[in-house]
Amino acid sequence: MRVVGVDIGGTFTDFMLYDTESGAVHVHKVPSTPREPERAMVSGLVELCAGAGLAASDVTGVFHGTTVATNAVLEHEGAVAGMITTRGFRDIVHIGRHQRPLHYSVMQDIPWQAQPFVQRRHRKVVTERIVPPTGEVLTPLDEDEVRAAARELHEEGVEAVAVCFLFSYLNPEHERRAAAIVREEMPDAFVTTSADIFPQFREFERFTTATMSAFVGPKTGNYLDRLATALKGEGVQGELHVMMSSGGVASVRTAAERPVTLLLSGPAAGILGGQWAGALAGRRRLITFDMGGTSADIGIVTEDGVSEASARDTWVGGYPLLVPMLDVHAIGAGGGSIAYVDEGGAFRVGPRSAGAAPGPAAYGEGGQEPTITDAHVVLGRIDPDRFLGGRMKLHRDAAIAVVEKLADQLGLGLLETAEGILTIANSNMARAIRSRTIEKGHDPREFALVAFGGAGPLHAADVADALEIPEVLVPPHPGITSAGGLLTSDLKYDQMRTVFQLQGSIDVDRLNHELEGLEAELRSWLAGDDVPGEDVEVIRALDCRYAGQGYELRVTLADGPFTEEALEQFHVLHEREYGSAYGDPIEIVNARVTAIGRRPTFDSLPVASGRLEEALVGENEGVFRVDGKLQALPTRFYDRSLLPLDETLAGPAVVFHLDTTTVVPPGWNVKADASGNLILTKGGAS
Amino acid sequence: MSTVQTRVDPVTAAVIAGALDSIAVEMGHKLARMAYSSIIRESEDFGCVLCDADGRQLCESSQSTPLQSGPIPGYIAGINRRFAELNHEWKPGDVVIHNHSYYGASHQPDVGFVVPVFYGNELVGFSATTAHHLDLGALTPGSCGIVDATDAYAEGLQFNAIKIEEEGRKNEFIWQILRDNCRAPHLVVGDMEAQVVACKIGAVRFVELIERYGIETVKNASEDLMDYAERMLRREIEQLPDGTYEAEGYLDGFVDHPDPAYKNLKIKVAVTVEGSEITVDLTGTAPQVDLPINMPFVGTVDIAIWVTLRSILLDAWTHDPVPTNSGLFRAISIVAPEGCIANPTFPAPTIARFCGGNIIADTLMRALAPILPERVGAGVGNLKVVAYSGFSGGQHWVYMDIQEGSYGGRFGKDGLDAVDTLYANTRNNPIEDIESHFPLRVTQYELLEDRGGPGRWRGGLGTTREIEFLDDAGYSLEGDGSVTAPPGLFGGAEGTPGAVLLNRGTDGELELPSKFPYRKAAAGDRLCLISPCGGGYGDPLERDPEAVQEDLNDGYVSQTSARTHYRLEDNE
Repeated sequence: MRVVGVDIGGTFTDFMLYDTESGAVHVHKVPSTPREPERAMVSGLVELCAGAGLAASDVTGVFHGTTVATNAVLEHEGAVAGMITTRGFRDIVHIGRHQRPLHYSVMQDIPWQAQPFVQRRHRKVVTERIVPPTGEVLTPLDEDEVRAAARELHEEGVEAVAVCFLFSYLNPEHERRAAAIVREEMPDAFVTTSADIFPQFREFERFTTATMSAFVGPKTGNYLDRLATALKGEGVQGELHVMMSSGGVASVRTAAERPVTLLLSGPAAGILGGQWAGALAGRRRLITFDMGGTSADIGIVTEDGVSEASARDTWVGGYPLLVPMLDVHAIGAGGGSIAYVDEGGAFRVGPRSAGAAPGPAAYGEGGQEPTITDAHVVLGRIDPDRFLGGRMKLHRDAAIAVVEKLADQLGLGLLETAEGILTIANSNMARAIRSRTIEKGHDPREFALVAFGGAGPLHAADVADALEIPEVLVPPHPGITSAGGLLTSDLKYDQMRTVFQLQGSIDVDRLNHELEGLEAELRSWLAGDDVPGEDVEVIRALDCRYAGQGYELRVTLADGPFTEEALEQFHVLHEREYGSAYGDPIEIVNARVTAIGRRPTFDSLPVASGRLEEALVGENEGVFRVDGKLQALPTRFYDRSLLPLDETLAGPAVVFHLDTTTVVPPGWNVKADASGNLILTKGGAS
Repeated sequence: MSTVQTRVDPVTAAVIAGALDSIAVEMGHKLARMAYSSIIRESEDFGCVLCDADGRQLCESSQSTPLQSGPIPGYIAGINRRFAELNHEWKPGDVVIHNHSYYGASHQPDVGFVVPVFYGNELVGFSATTAHHLDLGALTPGSCGIVDATDAYAEGLQFNAIKIEEEGRKNEFIWQILRDNCRAPHLVVGDMEAQVVACKIGAVRFVELIERYGIETVKNASEDLMDYAERMLRREIEQLPDGTYEAEGYLDGFVDHPDPAYKNLKIKVAVTVEGSEITVDLTGTAPQVDLPINMPFVGTVDIAIWVTLRSILLDAWTHDPVPTNSGLFRAISIVAPEGCIANPTFPAPTIARFCGGNIIADTLMRALAPILPERVGAGVGNLKVVAYSGFSGGQHWVYMDIQEGSYGGRFGKDGLDAVDTLYANTRNNPIEDIESHFPLRVTQYELLEDRGGPGRWRGGLGTTREIEFLDDAGYSLEGDGSVTAPPGLFGGAEGTPGAVLLNRGTDGELELPSKFPYRKAAAGDRLCLISPCGGGYGDPLERDPEAVQEDLNDGYVSQTSARTHYRLEDNE
């Protein structure tokens, strides 16, 4: 098989091709074409194949990370969407949780009020009501009203409809029936229901998820169609698959039905890429650190896999979203982040970014404010002549000028200021990592930091120092790690249902019935994707809490039918998460099933290497803080592709990759590992 | 720009500021996730703060509501005052419970837990949380709507600087008093245990921070951070023209009370700007009453004023984030004569003080309107809080439901619809949570139509929220805004008052006042709350006709309003 991973970012579209038979890997990078992302993808794929001596028709599978749905949300450019909801509850998606996003602001906008996915005129109410605890029908669905509402929506030019009824997570029948009627009346519309996405309680969040799905649905579906057609047109044989926020890939068909599962497609691919690079080196406890031009994404990997976000902490563009997501912690720190002194005299870095244009002052394209990249240039950690493999010449004088200006405002020296920019950015990132490790009971000293993206390897050792992380890995092809991540993911689907069962009175049969139903549903999806039954793995879990609490912890179930003993594990989880456990009864909130269709793994890479004397391409002064003092130290420059394997080199050193730079500060060592990773370790000179 | 003199270098200051914030966030995260009652875990009516050894606030959890985190320094000052009276002192391993409204507590249901932070033998700070508790044994179930309490004693249990853990030993008897005296003790005690855990994690993290940077650096950075916040606010005040600016607002009070002294209570605000200082004088505000709408001067009145001033002067929508610490309020002085409802004397009851604080905040905003026309809004619609309760299966259930208000029109923008307002910022409880856990059914929760004050920028819309009792039960209510409509601004029309209706649309429909004590409910009764809607900003005739048409399409205004208030030509 020959599979290709394609990650489309804002600036570049990255490719990685893996030939499972020969073991060969080919990479490629082309500028993105944001208006029609598929153009760069298809032409780049053809170039990639040509470079590998292959034809596009030799490709048997394409795995894709996309930002189409994400951009539709962030830029608020989606379909004219409508909603059909329970009479008496027309404005759930407008009222929200009645909390203002900002505590201290009179002039703020509220995203769901200022920019609703469905305008009120397109929110229709119909008579129906389902009630807890069992989902009993209190008021039958008035089908005539549904039909009339659908006709109105059709006349109003609505292109996508979300059907959202209260308590549909307990009983989806009304939503399904209403959706069927809407499809009859509006055969061309995208139609979704709130329970078909993820049947969980909390109506504002579930309805918002459904309306967001309707809003992005047509655009995402069209894009995926166009892409699949274009690939077919080039003769690509295999199926197109898309990365979901959960870190699994879905077939185009399933992804198009639930487009809201794609909102963190790109960042999820990044975490999996980091996981893959770590696995190549045999590391299983990892902090992935993907830092680009405007932001840094952090993820946590343990023996249990990638950490997932709690369902109540998932937001995109200021809107809540109830879908399974990897726990991607994004912070506004990238190479382009701007450093400044605010009105009260505080020294700040980011989240405002110089972006790609004008970019950092060192780009020489008119940037007037000092950025993180400029600080690296001032400190001699980025060689102006070797940026992006020498493809882009940087202007050191311009970087010095803008940092100097900031230094004057702060009353600090030039180098202190440049180093201060990095210290503040690094401490922001270290804090973000801390919130995902120490605060969750993980000791960062037991992890390796996997650093990638254009800026990650520049910062990794300093960030690691701040948390006493002993080891840093820089993956092979650090600028396109996400594309690698796409090649390593399995097909993975999640489904869940809110069940509300209390320990002591659990209806075990009903619960097992729910779990079996969810499993059967997911197995049928995988069968639809032609995954043989023997390659399917199923994980069953329950989201539980002490009765009365509002946040759940996930208890993974052993194989076989559920029995009450399984709940004992909850006390252990609670103790680990919060430091104490209680004797109170446990409430089961959601039943949850994940089905994974295993794909062939890709566990080694051909690694290029050379001789040390070839790799050493220069030496210059780099500025580092040693024992609290800034010092200019002789710093060696190496070419990554020529580094000999397993030879330990002492910092300070700078390693140039094709698309990024690794900084090895004094006190750190680096070696090129047979896994293809650079491995940085803390320790004295060797 | 002039270089500011600081004690630590700006890089270290930035790093420590971030570290302090993340400690408070972790405290809030733990508290919300461990808590049992919906008022904390869903509504987020809690606060988490670290203070220095002088009880000055250094940071707060972003998740907490301003009216809970803001008062914490006042709690600590109150505890210190009580300790001084009784010759007590802070010891390592202590945990103090405190809710005395005349010793700094915001009001009696907002119970504070405070853990002193020791570094070696030195008291270096405090880690504290507050949270609204469901029931503390007042005369009727719940902790809101106790609007017939005649003095502080009638409000339920009072803890005045009580060590619930003393030098690491848990005082089981106090916990037992709580279990014996609260309805729904399981929820109340579970919430309190979560508060203690959050305080303790805050204290551990604070010590870790000191170990990392050294005590002197942390102290100096703390001073710098407070100076910084102070500087930020003063810079904004300096740009205002000196002078005194006044406004008046009215609290419904007890609409059905025979004595006029209990109705339409005046809130008088005079703001004096002088250089970089602001004085807010409440002289002229109505005298205190022996029913619980009096507002603790420390813990309610001060917070309403601080939060409003910073939300206008350092609006987070337009300004860089400013740390919330005690330095922020150094430029503000507050005056309220003793014996008025904004500075009552003990033992005047205060438990239902919430709505009055909102009116202080709203009136203050209106006083500033002439000098800050582009940064304030027209009159804000107030909130209502209902305590639903019942007794079944040998156990009490208590549920507190908060109905939102709405903002007035703002410069360039319509008012926010259906939100918690001004000095508080809680969340509603999902309908699917309420009905799954209590014998209640929500029968309507929707925006009101055509009730926002007409204006160039329209007043925001509140909601209709109706709940049906599925069993015989009880309820009480504290709210406001059923009499006086939220005022308009700069030619905008006033909004609309709210209402409370029992069994709306039936022969037995009954209009209830905006505050009433415990009433019995029969299965099938429906309680319907109508929010007041915000005032309009600017002349409605200057409203963009396209915006009026959009409003019409969305049903926010009626055809009639479009014609009469906005003179929109009928184009049908």
